Amino acid sequence: MVVDIRGLVDAKQGTVDPRIYHDEEIYQQELKNVFARCWLFLAHDSQIPNPGDYVTTYMGEDPVLVVRKRDGSVGVFMNQCRHRGMRLCRADAGSAKSFSCSYHGWTYDLSGNLVGVPSEDDAYRNEINKAEWGAVKVPQVDNYRGFIFGTWDPSAPPLLDYIGDFRFYFDAFADRTEAGTELIGGAHRWVFPANWKFAAEQFCSDMYHAPISHASAVLALTPDDQDVDEEVFPMDGTKGRQFSSELGHGTGFFVESGDVLANIVGQKPADWFQGGNPEAIGRLGDARAERMRGAHATLFPNFSFLPGINTLRIWHPKGPNEMEVWAWTLVDKNAPADVREAQRIGTGRTFSVAGLFEQDDGENWSEIQRVLRGHIARRSSFNVQMGLGHEWDDDPDFPGKVNRVYCEMAARGFYKRWADMASGMSWDELMASVRKAVEVSG
Amino acid sequence: MTAQLESSPVTSVDVELQHQIEQFLYLEARFLDERRFEEWLDLFSDDVHYWMPTRTVRYERELDKEFSASNEVAHFDENKRALEERVTRIRSGMAWAEEPPSRTRHMVHNVIIELGDSPSELLVRSNILLYRGRLDRDVDFFVGFREDVLRQSEDADYGWLIARRSIFLDQTLILAKNMSIFL
Ligand code: FES
Ligand SMILES: [Fe+2]
Repeated sequence: MVVDIRGLVDAKQGTVDPRIYHDEEIYQQELKNVFARCWLFLAHDSQIPNPGDYVTTYMGEDPVLVVRKRDGSVGVFMNQCRHRGMRLCRADAGSAKSFSCSYHGWTYDLSGNLVGVPSEDDAYRNEINKAEWGAVKVPQVDNYRGFIFGTWDPSAPPLLDYIGDFRFYFDAFADRTEAGTELIGGAHRWVFPANWKFAAEQFCSDMYHAPISHASAVLALTPDDQDVDEEVFPMDGTKGRQFSSELGHGTGFFVESGDVLANIVGQKPADWFQGGNPEAIGRLGDARAERMRGAHATLFPNFSFLPGINTLRIWHPKGPNEMEVWAWTLVDKNAPADVREAQRIGTGRTFSVAGLFEQDDGENWSEIQRVLRGHIARRSSFNVQMGLGHEWDDDPDFPGKVNRVYCEMAARGFYKRWADMASGMSWDELMASVRKAVEVSG
Repeated sequence: MTAQLESSPVTSVDVELQHQIEQFLYLEARFLDERRFEEWLDLFSDDVHYWMPTRTVRYERELDKEFSASNEVAHFDENKRALEERVTRIRSGMAWAEEPPSRTRHMVHNVIIELGDSPSELLVRSNILLYRGRLDRDVDFFVGFREDVLRQSEDADYGWLIARRSIFLDQTLILAKNMSIFL
């Protein structure tokens, strides 16, 4: 059965049908039409510096190997043997010369080509054409400023077109210095018993939850002499911006107010991110390198990050009712040692499975998901109307469609894109609607 | 006939000390399970380092890279103040991951004491099993081993302070929606 997914999201009225988080048929369409077509974040350059270095990850629910090849390029292929489908590599990361299947021993090189078959002469009588039986390769892989992305869809638009007008905001995270960025070693990985879209949408669009969901963390980290509502998490939505891309990406942040970063990672990293890095100001301008505060962001569909706090994560779908979070900590390569150290500790302390902030997100999402077991619970739509119709596109500092920071415009954009993609809209149509929106907004 | 051991090839720690240290760890577990977090905090020295590295699945030849290193990310990398902040958070009444509170049961096993150079500091290894029940249906198990440095202190209410704790979990991907608990 094919569900008419476009009818489940009404971006104009600001409603979503709760079945998008729950129904197995919708989930299967999502794997096929969203995850098997979008550009997905795979790994950061710094995770696989040397030839033979690899990490294993997922694209949707499909396991892939991301490998540094001898020529320095990156190969990405299914972590699945073509003989009987055994998972080729069962480690999270490592270094290898080749990948040998533990079932019958077929061996693949660093590009995923089949190079060895036990008893090839004796059992196969040299009749197997190894060239035809390599691991399934990801057809498009690209690298933007050290962030490696891939898509299963050979007809997907180039990565930079896919990032589109979100690039201005992504650069505030990824393109601060010529030296670039790197991940600190180790990763926080855990399970939320909830649909991945709750997390992706929240990082895309939801500053609104922070003062409530994270009240205890904000309180615990705020020095006694600070006023939370004024200085840490301003409740005045005019003191920040939200941005929404027709491509589904979104971000939100305070502008020149909101001291949350200093309270989370300390004054030095906050200064470094908010004006203390002359090179970043030169490259990005003062709006992005000085005045943005406490930003949240999602690159559609499931790659999220918090500039400044510098956690980045993938929300891996694991069925409609579960996701895995894989989270890392990013630092500017040339950041001073004390900034780096504060970032390493502060990010883990706040945004991780034991993080002061993120513990409470898990409680929200898992309970939402449990309630959705109810038939009636799935019958009434959810309200995504905040700030509807109040966007502007001529902001002097922040380009594109923007709104106040407490807003659900980016959520509407996220769900609209999700519904268009999940319903199987072609790339031609998908990209035409983006061009049209850009023309209309002049 | 009962065997009389003059000296044991297994342990040189005397029974009295072993008993004392085990009781200390049981007391700590009890404070946590009874949510007496302020009394629990008092069991740690002011210069405590409370650390739980992350862990990844690795092949045997790369097992030395299994746990994140001290200069990499960790689940917990806390000094005393950070532990206090966690307790402040739980006590705020707005820490939704602990409001309503989790029900925890800490089981401490296999306590092995190593005498160090200084008679007032001990290296204490223990296995830990934590059952956590939350709301109606949440069930989590956190299992691992701990390496503690216990420091004898005359000022301490219970004679010892935990000066360092390293916790090594037996999960890589944490199969829980949060770790709003202490191990
Ligand atoms: S399944 Fe891999 S060699 Fe048979
Ligand atoms: Fe949150």
